[in-house]
Amino acid sequence: MISSFFKELFNRVNRGYWSYLIVIGHIVAGSFLVYTQPRSNLAFLVLMTSFMSLYFFTTSLRFKLIAAVILALVIIPIVGARNIFYLEVIFQISVFAALALGLNIVVGFAGLLDLGYVAFYAVGAYLWAFFGSQQFYMLHYAPGTAPAALPFFLPGDAFYMFLVVGVIIAGLTGILLGLPVLRLRGDYLAIVTLGFGEVIRVLANNLDKPLNFTNGPQGITPIQRPTMPDFAVDWFNSVFGGVVGHNVSAAVMYNLMFYMFALAVIIVIIFVTRRLDDSKIGRAWTAVREDETAAIAQGIPLVKMKLAAFAVGASFAGVMGVLLAASRTFISPESFSFMQSIGVLTMVILGGAGSIPGVILGAATVTILNLQVLQGFSLYLNELRQSDAVIPIINFAWKDLSNQLDPAKYQRLLFGLILVLMMIFRPAGLIPAARRKRKIDLEEN
Amino acid sequence: MIRFLKRINVYELVRPVGQMVLFSLGSAAFMSAIAISLALALDGTAVGASLMDKYNVSLYTYTMLNLPQVIIDGLTIGFVYAAIALGYTMVYGVLEFINFAHSEIFAVGAFVGVELLIALDGMGILAGASLGMAYAYLILAIILGMMAAGGLAVAVERVAYRPLRGASRLVPLISAIGVSFLLQDVIRLVESLTSGQFNRIMPTFGNFDSRIVFGKIAMGTSKLTLGISVKSIIVIGSAVLMLVGLNYLVNATRVGKAIRAVAQDRPTASLMGINVNRIISLTFLVGGLLGGAAGVLYALKFTRIDPFVGFFPGLKAFTAAVLGGIGNMTGALLGGIVLGMLETFAGSYMGVFTMGAAGSEYKDIFAFSILILVLIFRPQGLMGKHVMQKA
Amino acid sequence: MALLEINNMTKVFGGLKAISDVTFSLEKGRIVSIIGPNGAGKTTFFNTLTGIYKPDGGTIKFNGKSLVGLRPDQIAACGIARTFQNIRLFPDMTVIENILVGMHIHFKQSPIQTLFRLPGFKKEEAEAEKKAARLMQYVGLKRVENELAKNLPYGAQRRLEIARALAAEPLLLLLDEPAAGMNPQETEDIIRLFRHIKTDLGITILLIEHDMRVVMNISEDICVMDYGEKIAEGTPQQIRANTRVIEAYLGRGAVAGQHEEKMQ
Repeated sequence: MISSFFKELFNRVNRGYWSYLIVIGHIVAGSFLVYTQPRSNLAFLVLMTSFMSLYFFTTSLRFKLIAAVILALVIIPIVGARNIFYLEVIFQISVFAALALGLNIVVGFAGLLDLGYVAFYAVGAYLWAFFGSQQFYMLHYAPGTAPAALPFFLPGDAFYMFLVVGVIIAGLTGILLGLPVLRLRGDYLAIVTLGFGEVIRVLANNLDKPLNFTNGPQGITPIQRPTMPDFAVDWFNSVFGGVVGHNVSAAVMYNLMFYMFALAVIIVIIFVTRRLDDSKIGRAWTAVREDETAAIAQGIPLVKMKLAAFAVGASFAGVMGVLLAASRTFISPESFSFMQSIGVLTMVILGGAGSIPGVILGAATVTILNLQVLQGFSLYLNELRQSDAVIPIINFAWKDLSNQLDPAKYQRLLFGLILVLMMIFRPAGLIPAARRKRKIDLEEN
Repeated sequence: MIRFLKRINVYELVRPVGQMVLFSLGSAAFMSAIAISLALALDGTAVGASLMDKYNVSLYTYTMLNLPQVIIDGLTIGFVYAAIALGYTMVYGVLEFINFAHSEIFAVGAFVGVELLIALDGMGILAGASLGMAYAYLILAIILGMMAAGGLAVAVERVAYRPLRGASRLVPLISAIGVSFLLQDVIRLVESLTSGQFNRIMPTFGNFDSRIVFGKIAMGTSKLTLGISVKSIIVIGSAVLMLVGLNYLVNATRVGKAIRAVAQDRPTASLMGINVNRIISLTFLVGGLLGGAAGVLYALKFTRIDPFVGFFPGLKAFTAAVLGGIGNMTGALLGGIVLGMLETFAGSYMGVFTMGAAGSEYKDIFAFSILILVLIFRPQGLMGKHVMQKA
Repeated sequence: MALLEINNMTKVFGGLKAISDVTFSLEKGRIVSIIGPNGAGKTTFFNTLTGIYKPDGGTIKFNGKSLVGLRPDQIAACGIARTFQNIRLFPDMTVIENILVGMHIHFKQSPIQTLFRLPGFKKEEAEAEKKAARLMQYVGLKRVENELAKNLPYGAQRRLEIARALAAEPLLLLLDEPAAGMNPQETEDIIRLFRHIKTDLGITILLIEHDMRVVMNISEDICVMDYGEKIAEGTPQQIRANTRVIEAYLGRGAVAGQHEEKMQ
């Protein structure tokens, strides 16, 4: 009832100039709200949802592209520079969107449930962490015993090269793991990839001996970043300084830069995904997902196709790992837990497996729920704890609420609920994947 | 009375006990042989020398001194794995579905049992309890844990799996992963709200921590103590009882016949007048009961539990089920014992044999390596029959 | 030389011989039916031939090449296409995509061409689309190219499965009960389609069928199986007269056939 009412309303409004007006209005309203109330989560949500209006309302492709570029490359950097918390949220959304898009190739297109996807992310991250830090010279020192003044193995600008190396090494890892296990049935594959994810995490935790490759649970730091020319900061301040309201530091500029890198990776992934999807390879993936027996009878080599999907997905995780290591300058095994893998899977499932806009929406939704809603709830509970407030009927003083109860740590609850509810009520996701419609002219008709 | 006894299928009571003894002795002998020969081989090398340096004991003596305890520990954890593995294997046998949330069913059993004992302890009842009463309380805790876990398993099936029956294979699996995560945090939430912390410690009572010593054997300058802790006897004993009971239920009763029929061919079983939904619920109930009991036993053995306590035992039990041949109950028993042994041996000796380069910290991934190897080289498991995919 | 030559093919399931020492040869350009009671091993025969099951004995030669030990996709690439007893389409793909998947082995596009939409890629895709659209018309599907396969009515799904198999341009087409569940009109249409496939495209057809109207109507030869063994082979007339076949099959089948006709 309600959904059909909204559909009707949407169809009424989604016409001619109205749709343009609404989209522009949404973007302007969002920007204005965030500008006037830089600390309001609601204002930020209004701005972020303008991407959705842009996607759903019927406007010309050129308009969509221009609006998206202005939003992503002008408005969001300014908003991020004004409030670095938003920048962090946006950066995390971008990173997770890229990861989810990569996993989407494996789960959404080829139908392979990979529960250890973060392992490939870890491979990329540790790759740059090892070569882009002093770790190479610490091989023979137990964690914490190395002298302070060790040199860095590679210069920070080798980062760019490692973006490519990360793709290759993670892809190869994917092939190496996939070769033996991709013959397995889907549910076994899920457990084996889960196991592989844990193996990588345990290795990261324990490969500080006999040779200290990973520095164990303490993780590796500092990891180098590519150099940023001084003029970049000055240029940004001279152009946007007025709008931002203060001059940004090099640290913030770095965060902006990594946001741009993540955006670039997302664009590459979308490009590759869409092109592959609508080709022999993509059709073979979907066929394998839909019915393996029928697919193989059409001459599709199952293992080879699954390997390809696995390797492509793994490569994207690898490059994001390199990016993460450089942007954080610190990594530890904790960032690559099973929960992270499930988090990325949740984004794919929530948004819609196989659907690119869906997966991005899923990544944004889960990240915002995680970073803003759960953490906001935590802050609110802490305020209550410090007040004299009492829950009326049961006469419970908020002061007595256990300190262990910290909603920010309840991501499993969030992920679990989303997964179960989506499977029961909307298995195709928020924005289900749609097949391309073709127009065919047969000349002899 | 005699008529009742006559109706009991003695063979189905003796057979599983025989299998357990066989599997236990076999895997113990096999692993011991490997450990001892490795020790003898490495004694003359740098590995032996470094041990001699540190503790003034030869590698062989070191291995022998630890062997009895390692075997007992391996068997104890092996039987816990077997009890959990049966839950996976039964559900898989009937629905061809990995019940990913089974590890949390196990954890809920552990929490309910431990919370009951903590409550009794808080009332001062446990401290003054006689030995007999102590056992009664432990049994009560196990039964309560079983009931909670069994009920939860049935509820989960009803809510999160049954609506998805008939969907593609990955759909219920993803739902199960969701349930697993959800339950971990629900346990944490409930514990945080009620007791203020989510790490719980099994109270100490009764004589469970004491050891029964059979005797000592002199080995060079050291003495080899042959003994077993009461805990281990309880864990192994209860597990054996449950496994025999389950085996009897499935192989020698009418209900068991119905379960097997549903596992073989669901549509046909339903045509034969079997209420398939009820049998599936029953399968989850039985799996949950076993898992819950295993949870309390696990808590008794390892003392400390937290909301994520089920994750590793669950995965290892699944590995055990696959190792034995998923869907095959005897296989789950064998897989559990073998895996428990392998893991305990590796955890105890690997550190010494590799001179500290790789030790017990790799214990947890040991199981995964086995899982991957089994799936590659013998996907039907040690005891499973090769099943053809239907075209 | 025969297109397909099978010598002493055997397939065992846990001690039960599902196919026992079957020797069979098929000349190019013919339409041959395999008939037999339920459980006679007909579908197992197809599955073993297409590599889904590994044969436990015997040789299979197709177009001069041994198929034993090849994977199903390699066998498909040799020129054998098939349909399934219980229609196996790719339900969430469109009709045209289903047919395009059928052409998988003929696509030559490289990943580079694909990623950058180079002319070679575009040309190949456009030609494939046209060919797929023609195939749709050929098997009698209306312009439903953008429908999802799962949304097609039953008869159209059967036709789509045949179109997908034809898209591979096979030398041999294996049809597993193609007329099952069809009404007399649809059955007649599909018989006509098979004749066309044979005469227009020169494709050899081997089909499993229970419907005797279809079998007797189009088969040039009939092979009868029972309990995993080949019990008879010959023209429809010879098979009609074969006492062993009548014992094993036709006696019951004829009665069932009449009964079916009455029902309709």
